[in-house]
Amino acid sequence: MTGPTSERIGARTTLQKLLSRFHFGITLFAVALSGLTILLAGVSALRGYADRNMELAAQLGAYGVEPALVFNDPQAAREGLEPLTRIPGIARLRVLDDVGRPLTQWTSPMADPAPLLTRLFFPRPFAVAVERNGSAIGTIEVWGDSSTLIDYVRIGLLAGLGCLLITALGTIFLARRFEYELVKPLNEIATVAHDVRLHRRFDKRVKALGIAELDRLGGDINALLDELQGWQGHMESERAVLAHRASHDALTALPNRESFDQKLAQRIAAAGTPDDRFALMFIDADNFKAANDNYGHAAGDAVLVALSQCIRDALGPEDFAARIGGDEFIVVVDRIAAETVREDLARNIRACAAQPVTLPGGETYSASVSVGVAIYPDDGTDATALLTAADAAMYADKLSNRSRT
Amino acid sequence: MLASLFLIGASLTTPQMSVQAASQTIVEDSDDGMARAVNRMVGGIVSYARWPNGPADSARVMCVVGTPRLTNRMAPDVPGAGSVLVRRLSAAAVMGRSECDILFLGRMAVADRRQLIAWVRGRPILTITDDDAACMYGAMFCLSSRAASLSFSVNLDAIGRGPLRIDPRVLSIGRSVGGSS
Repeated sequence: MTGPTSERIGARTTLQKLLSRFHFGITLFAVALSGLTILLAGVSALRGYADRNMELAAQLGAYGVEPALVFNDPQAAREGLEPLTRIPGIARLRVLDDVGRPLTQWTSPMADPAPLLTRLFFPRPFAVAVERNGSAIGTIEVWGDSSTLIDYVRIGLLAGLGCLLITALGTIFLARRFEYELVKPLNEIATVAHDVRLHRRFDKRVKALGIAELDRLGGDINALLDELQGWQGHMESERAVLAHRASHDALTALPNRESFDQKLAQRIAAAGTPDDRFALMFIDADNFKAANDNYGHAAGDAVLVALSQCIRDALGPEDFAARIGGDEFIVVVDRIAAETVREDLARNIRACAAQPVTLPGGETYSASVSVGVAIYPDDGTDATALLTAADAAMYADKLSNRSRT
Repeated sequence: MLASLFLIGASLTTPQMSVQAASQTIVEDSDDGMARAVNRMVGGIVSYARWPNGPADSARVMCVVGTPRLTNRMAPDVPGAGSVLVRRLSAAAVMGRSECDILFLGRMAVADRRQLIAWVRGRPILTITDDDAACMYGAMFCLSSRAASLSFSVNLDAIGRGPLRIDPRVLSIGRSVGGSS
């Protein structure tokens, strides 16, 4: 099931990368848009200023060359143009008289640094009519060049680039910050979910998160985990009950034959030294069928419960017992001394079983039991041999009991 | 209008004495070329002068005393609005009446000239001469002809003494060292 899923994951991207790409795109777009706007506004403003500058230069020139035109004096015209030649950004000057003949002209000795820019900004010269007492006496023409523009453009571009850089850095920083704020809580949730799935850590919980939507998601996940934890606990107790039921007798709550076989096999496997001895007792209620028939099944059950209680009372801390049939019980008495007499082991059980039991019907009944004892390793070193020996001993006891009665 | 142009370089400015004539008006190479150049120059000078009375473009009376050296056809060509009426008077007649706004001093007796200059002092009268290349005898503007060009010099002392106001751009064209009486 996980195979195809993980294959698909290969083509996926992380949320952080996605956000980063998205933010970068937005930032680039915004920066480019603002940059373009500033550039266009700057160029149009620049153009306006350049035009005004040229116009003012032409006006100044017109004022300066006016007497020269009145007196038709080229020398004076040159002197009148003198202040203009010191203004940067002027490529060429020309003074025409009232019939359009050039009186004087001047060309800047400096080469135009960017003829293309000049053509773009000053496609035509600025011409201003020179007037004297209301009548036109000539014209002054001013050609601009790009020497001042180029400085402005250079500084403008540098400043613009700097601004773009700062904007881009700031936006990227903010975007990173935002990504971090969003991705961290998501990772938190993912870590908890992963832990729960992989390690069954149902006690894990998502911490309170700063983002409302994610906090709600975390809360829901926590509620889900609460439920899961409840189910898990319920299932575990159910399973324990079932396991107990499978290995124990329902009536007497003693282990059943199967679990006894397991335990016995374990005990034999664990036995090491020759003086590690234990006894296997086979206990069978005498005349149980008759009691059952005479007093009813409820009475038989009561007798069995009383008998199992006797057996349980007789058990030491390492001993164990089981009900293996209708009225048959097995007991393992662990760690017995070498000199232990078999009948001593059986005596306690016999005495206890002989106590009168009050039956549901009000009658009292005293049971008697037949007990067969087998000793490990004297009577056998495997479960079958021990059980056979104990069974045989029990039958022998039963026979002697019958003959007694 | 002009048949040909004779551009005179700055190297031709008058070196003599201390008066420098910066203005180098081009003179047409024709019969009435000099007359037109003189009239244009006088008209230009008149247009840059401001009298304390009357509007700027009102007609001004020019009294010609003595014999002008450069031309006999005196008719100043004032650019734009404004005009000049020309009258020929004797020195005594000028001093007897007071209708002259402009005094053009041609060739005349030294005594007459001195008298006229002294009489003009303090009056709103523009004085122009064409008989004083060095501009030393007290006229405000002095015309002089050299080669194929006409130029004028300015006597700042004379201008400074009178109530007339002259546009400084003209003063800078007809650059003068002043310093004379």
